[in-house]
Amino acid sequence: MANEKVDVVIVGAGASGSVYASVLAKAGKKVVLLETGPDWQLGDLISSDFWGRRIKPVGPPFLLEGKNPFGYVYQAGWGVGGAALHYFANFPRLLPNDFKVKSEHGKGLDWPIDYADLAPYYDKVAHDVGVSGDAKAEEIWRPAGEPYPMPPMKTFPGGDVWKKGFEATGIRLVPAALGVNSTDYKGRPACIYDGWCHVGCPIGALANPLVTYLAAAKKAGAEVRTQATVTRVLTAASGQKATGVEYYDAKKEKQVQEASIVVLAAWSAQNPRLMLNSASDKHSNGLANASGLLGKYLTAHFSSGTSAIFDEDLQPYMGTIGAQYFSYDRYDKNAHKAKGAFGSTFLVAGWAQKYSGLGGVANARSDLFGAELAAFMKRAARGYTRIGAFGEEMPNIDNRVELAGDKDEFGTPLGKITHSYNEDAIALFNANFEEGLTIAKASGAKEVWSNRGAMPTIHLMGGTIMGNSAADSVTNSYGQTHEIPNLWIAGPGIFPTSGASNPTYTIFALSLRGAEHLAENWGTVSD
Amino acid sequence: MDSIERRVFIRGAMIGVLAFSLDGVETLLTPRQAYALGVPLRTLQPEEAKTLEAVGEALVPGARPAGLVQFIDQQISIPPEEALLEARIMNVRPPFANFYRAAIGAIDRASKANNGGRGFAELDAAEQHTFIDNMRQNKIDGWQGPGAPFVYFLLRTDAVDVVYGTMDGYASLGVPYMPHIAPTRSW
Repeated sequence: MANEKVDVVIVGAGASGSVYASVLAKAGKKVVLLETGPDWQLGDLISSDFWGRRIKPVGPPFLLEGKNPFGYVYQAGWGVGGAALHYFANFPRLLPNDFKVKSEHGKGLDWPIDYADLAPYYDKVAHDVGVSGDAKAEEIWRPAGEPYPMPPMKTFPGGDVWKKGFEATGIRLVPAALGVNSTDYKGRPACIYDGWCHVGCPIGALANPLVTYLAAAKKAGAEVRTQATVTRVLTAASGQKATGVEYYDAKKEKQVQEASIVVLAAWSAQNPRLMLNSASDKHSNGLANASGLLGKYLTAHFSSGTSAIFDEDLQPYMGTIGAQYFSYDRYDKNAHKAKGAFGSTFLVAGWAQKYSGLGGVANARSDLFGAELAAFMKRAARGYTRIGAFGEEMPNIDNRVELAGDKDEFGTPLGKITHSYNEDAIALFNANFEEGLTIAKASGAKEVWSNRGAMPTIHLMGGTIMGNSAADSVTNSYGQTHEIPNLWIAGPGIFPTSGASNPTYTIFALSLRGAEHLAENWGTVSD
Repeated sequence: MDSIERRVFIRGAMIGVLAFSLDGVETLLTPRQAYALGVPLRTLQPEEAKTLEAVGEALVPGARPAGLVQFIDQQISIPPEEALLEARIMNVRPPFANFYRAAIGAIDRASKANNGGRGFAELDAAEQHTFIDNMRQNKIDGWQGPGAPFVYFLLRTDAVDVVYGTMDGYASLGVPYMPHIAPTRSW
C-alpha cells in the first residue's frame, strides 16, 4: 500500500531520529518516523531489572562472529525512545584529541571535522535536554564552552569513597555531567535518586527522547508509526536519489512511504543491513557503497571494572546509574603506552547499584554460587561500590556487518556482525584493570577485585563512517551519503573513531548539527 | 511535591504479576505464589522441572520456593516479545523453550554420564556443588548442548532474579527497593 508522500521519513525513533524529527518538524516539514518496536509510554517503565528487559529487542537477531562477538541486545533499543529509553545518561563529550587520530598517531582514522565544529552543538543539546554538571571543572581537559544549565547531581557515599584512591593515584575527578535533572527543568522534575535509570525513568527526570526531542517533534506535528519494520530503501531508476522506504506495518502488511528525504536512524548495525538489502542495478553492492566501506569499521567500547566493599554503609542503591564522578586524566591516546596500549580511557566512579540483572551486584562475583553467593550478597548489600574505565577501540576494517544467508519473517537477510579486538585494545583493557586495583587499594576498601570476564563490547559505532569523499567513507560530516544526496544516516554509525566517552551526547550533538544543516539547505538536497 | 511525596505518589501504579493458569483460569500471581499453589506447568516436563529446580536451588539458595521453575515455565510459554528472561538480552534466539530444553537436557545427560546414571537432582549437595563448579569452568567431560559456562550464567541469573531481584529479595538483604513504578508487592 502506498501512503501519501511526505517531506521526510525517518527510520528509527531513538536518540538520533528524534533529533532529526524535532528539527525538521519545527522547520515546517511533514515528518513520519517509522519504529519497529512498541509505542512505550513513561508509565510502562517499571522499576525492575526483570521488567526492564521488555524495552529491549527480541527481533530477528544478528548473527555474531569473531573473537569478541558483539553482544548487542542489552544496550539496544526496541520501541520509541530506542536505546536512549534505558541509557545511563552519562554525558561526557569527545575531546579535541579524538578527531585527528590518524594524522596525529598514524593509527585509526580522522574525522572530517574538529572538536570546534561540534562544540556549539554540545552546548545546544545541554540546554535542549537538560544536563547537570560542572562545565568549568571540565575545562582542565577541554576548551571552554557554556555552563551546563543545572548544577551537578547530588553525590552519595558510594561515589565519595573513591576520592581518596584517585587522589593517591594522581587522577583528578570532577562531578560527572549527566543528562538528568538535578533541579526541575523545563517542566520536568528533579531526580529523586532511586537508581532505576537503566530500566527507564518514568518521571521524566532523565533526558530520554520521550520527554525531549521526540516530544518536541510530536508537538510540532511529526507522526510516529510504531510496529513498522522497514526492509528496504527505495531508489529511483537513475540510482541518484532515494524515493522512500518499504516497510511492514503492525498487521504485517507491506507498505511504501515515499519521501523527499530518507533518514536512516535505526542503529549502527541495522542501517548498513538495510542499505545492503537495498542494492539495485545502480548500487549493486548496497546503497552509497562506492567505497566498499558500507558496514565496515565497526568499533566498540570495553570497560575494565574494579569492585570494592567498604566497611561503611555506602547506600549503594541510591543515586543514578550514571556516574557520580568522571575523569579524562587517562584520555591521552598514549596514556598507557608503557603497557603496550593505545587509545583513550574514560574513567567513572560510583553509581547506583541494584542487586540482580546483568550489571547487578550478584554479577560482580559471577564465579560465586550457593552458600558463597548468599554470603557475598549479604556482605555487599550496603558496602559495595565500583569504578569503571571505558577503553577505546581503534577502527579495524575487518570488524563489520554484512548480510547472512538466513532471513527474517519479512524475507530480509539477517545481519552478521563480525568483531574482534586487536592487541592495542587488549593491552588497554589489561592496563586499566591494573590501575583500577591500584586506585581501589589506595581508597581504603576492605575487599577489592577486578571484574574480569570476557572482554565486553559496549556502544556499537561505525559501519557507515563519515569522511571527505565517496572514496573513503559513506557519508559527509553531516550524515548525508556521498552518492545519494537525499539519503542521510544518523547515529553513532557515522563515527569514524569512537573515543572512549559514552556516545549518546555526541549522537545528539552530531544529529542536531546534521538536522540543522539539512533544514537550512533543504532546497539543495531534497528532490 | 517533595521527593518522598513523589515517590509515594508514583508507587500507586501496581503492576507486574504474571499470568498463570490455575484450574483452567488465568490468574495473576507471582512465581512464589505459583510455587506455593502448585500451579501446573505448561511447557516443562516433570523431569525437566525436577532438574531445573535442583540446579536453581544449588545455584542460589531460596530459588525453589521463590518459584524459579514456575517463572521459567511461564516465561517460555508466552510470546518471546513479552518475555522478561535474561536470555532475551543475551542474544539467545527465540523460542526460548529451545534453549532451556537443551540446557536442562545437557545437565542431566552429563550428570548421568559422570555419576553412575544419576541425574542432577539425585546427586548429593557436595556432588551438585562440584558439578556446577565444573560447569562454570567448562570442565565437564562429554558436555553436549549450549556452552556450559553460558548455561551456568543464565540459570544463575534466572535464580538471582527470583531470589534477589524482587521487592522481597531486597528486603531480605536489608536494603530499600525504592521503585518509581513498583512491581507487585512480592516482585
